[in-house]
Amino acid sequence: MGDGLEISEVTGLGLVAVMARKGVGAEAIGQRLGLAPGLAAPATPHWVGDGALALIGTGPGSWLARSEAPTAEWAETVIERLAGLASATDVSASYRVFRLSGGDAARLLQRGAFVDLATPAFAPGSVAVTVIAHIGVIIRQIDETSFDVSVFRSLGESFHHWLTTAAATL
Amino acid sequence: MRIPCPYCGSRDIGEFVYRGDASPVRPAADGAEAAMFAYVYLRDNPMGRHEEHWYHTQGCRNWLVVTRDTLTHEIPSARLAAPLNAGDAV
Ligand SMILES: [Zn+2]
Repeated sequence: MGDGLEISEVTGLGLVAVMARKGVGAEAIGQRLGLAPGLAAPATPHWVGDGALALIGTGPGSWLARSEAPTAEWAETVIERLAGLASATDVSASYRVFRLSGGDAARLLQRGAFVDLATPAFAPGSVAVTVIAHIGVIIRQIDETSFDVSVFRSLGESFHHWLTTAAATL
Repeated sequence: MRIPCPYCGSRDIGEFVYRGDASPVRPAADGAEAAMFAYVYLRDNPMGRHEEHWYHTQGCRNWLVVTRDTLTHEIPSARLAAPLNAGDAV
C-alpha cells in the first residue's frame, strides 16, 4: 500500500445516541426512523444508511444516528420518532469526527487499535468501538480507503496529536 | 490476554473491567443475614473453569459472563450477562 494519507475533520454533523428499550428489536428501530424499506438498524458492529441518515452500531441495542446536513429540528425529530421504542439523546456537540483517507489510513489506525482492521475482518460498513492511545474511539469504515474516527470532543486535541505524530512515522 | 466479546469480537483485556465470580445470586431481602454475608463476601477460588463478570468499558459497554480457565487463561466462551431480547443470538 502506501499511497498517502489525508486527515480532515467532519463538522456540522447531527448525532443522536439511541438505546433500544427492553424487547425492542433492530427492525423496529430502522422502520421507525425511516431507513430504506426492509433495512434494519444493524444488530452487529456495522453501519447502514447514507449521508442523510446513517445508523452506526455501537453495542447490543445501541446506535449513533448520524446526519450530514441536519436541519435545526433533525435531532428532535429522531428523538420524537423513537418515543416508546428507545431512549435517544442529542449528542451532536459531544464528538469530534476525523476522516482518514488514502492508502495509508488503515495502516495508521492499525498502529493504535488492537483490533484487526484488515479485510475481511474489517471492511466498508464495519464499525469498532475501541480505544486508541487510551482514548475511546468509534471507527467506521466508509470505503476501501477511508474511515471516520469519532472521539469525545474534550479529547479531540489529544487524539489529533496522536494522529499527526503517528502519521509522521508511517 | 484477549476476550471474545459476543458483540465486538476479540478484544484486548485492557478494554475490560473485571468484577469477579458471576455465580452468586442476591438473596431475598427478608433472607437470613448469613446468606447476605455469603453473597457479599464469600468467594470460591477455583482451579480450572470459572464463570466471571467482565464489563466491556472501552467497547460496547455491556456486562459479559466470561468462562475462563484460571489455570490456563483459556476462554472457551463469553455471553452477554443480560441479552436485550430473548431471541438475540449474542
Ligand atoms: Zn463488547
